[in-house]
Amino acid sequence: MKMTKIYEGAHQWVMFGRDENKPDNIIDSNQYIVRTANKCLLLEPGGTELFAPMMAAVLHHAPVDQITDLFASHQDPDVISSLGLWDQALSNAKLHAPALWEGYIRNFGCESIEYVPIPDNGETIKIESVELQIIPAHYLHSPCNFHVYDPQAKILMCGSVGSAFEAANAPVFVERFDVHVEKMRAYHQRMMPSNQAKRAWIDRVRNLDIDILAPQHGRMFKGDDVKRFLDWFDSLQVGTGV
Amino acid sequence: MNSQTKSQFIAVASITSELSAVMVVAKEISLAAANAKAIAFRAGDKAKGFQPITDFINELAKETIELVTNINVYALLLYRLTVNEYRRTAAYNRFEQVAKLAIGARYADSMQEPISHARTMMQDCQRQFKRDVTQLLGQLEAVMHHARAARVIAANSRIEASQAGEYLQSLQAVAESVDKAAHTIHDNVQRCRIALSIYRNS
Ligand SMILES: [Fe+2]
Repeated sequence: MKMTKIYEGAHQWVMFGRDENKPDNIIDSNQYIVRTANKCLLLEPGGTELFAPMMAAVLHHAPVDQITDLFASHQDPDVISSLGLWDQALSNAKLHAPALWEGYIRNFGCESIEYVPIPDNGETIKIESVELQIIPAHYLHSPCNFHVYDPQAKILMCGSVGSAFEAANAPVFVERFDVHVEKMRAYHQRMMPSNQAKRAWIDRVRNLDIDILAPQHGRMFKGDDVKRFLDWFDSLQVGTGV
Repeated sequence: MNSQTKSQFIAVASITSELSAVMVVAKEISLAAANAKAIAFRAGDKAKGFQPITDFINELAKETIELVTNINVYALLLYRLTVNEYRRTAAYNRFEQVAKLAIGARYADSMQEPISHARTMMQDCQRQFKRDVTQLLGQLEAVMHHARAARVIAANSRIEASQAGEYLQSLQAVAESVDKAAHTIHDNVQRCRIALSIYRNS
């Protein structure tokens, strides 16, 4: 599992992905952690198949008993089907996930982990002194879906938005936006069902100060590519992929 | 899923299916008993010895149904336990994998706690399963006992039937059906016991 530190301040952000031992028929996904002095939040912990390499990678950054929080943007298996394993590994953890999906996500196994339901209009979660904004991103692509914005690190973990599918050795940041667009187009047209929802999200996100857009699949966007992405997505007709 | 877990799932599932067949047959016996009672009543003195036997057959059938109902509840618990053990074992195996992959990681040692906890939970499930299987085998033994008793009664019924004059044939048919049903129950329960016996407490 490749690890890339994407923010280093009073707390840290690390991106995990491009697992070279991943079976070919399992989708490649990015996982993120927010590490504070005594706590660690896992964003999009991933699927069952990726659990062992993911957890082993996290152990480079935090001991098991400091993995205290998990976040799932939506209910898909590549996002959170590893829950049943985390549930047996962690003795004192919370899962922040959409209220709407609670009854669904619990199917993955959630007995010792506390399910903290996120209301439709989002909320703020605190990991020690770090305040993270949970931003609504409904219908992008899941009908109930959230992104995570860290105003200090200026990172927006944007779940499925901005996703693309890459080879295991692909760089973690977009290098040429015009080339990258082609890897995203079909996915966004097919997976994002609503232009109206997209509009609402773009209006909301344009007001945020963002250095890095960090999606759940593919490469991250930084610097000017953040605005490039928003402009591109703004002009793309979605819900047209069939 | 490893083959040990697979066969455990199959063993537990087979109890439920064998027992539902036992239930059907036990209900047949109860019906045969009611039938026999009616015939014995009509036969009057000629079937005097047969009357208490029909009560006895009925009683046996009722007890068997009750036992099987209880065993079914138990079998469901055993199924849940098997699911739980499967989950625990899967987690334990993944945790071992984590430890292997985390060699050299700064906090690799912190994995020991979840591993040993997972091991304990898994072993607890295995022990509980063995305990429950031993209990269940005892209950199945009780059903077998009833089936054996039913066969003895069926043999007695045949003797009594031979003295029932024109009712001989119908009473013999009753004895025959009780015997056949008891035989089926015996065989089905025996199959359950064989499927489970490898898991019992030694
Ligand atoms: Fe998804």
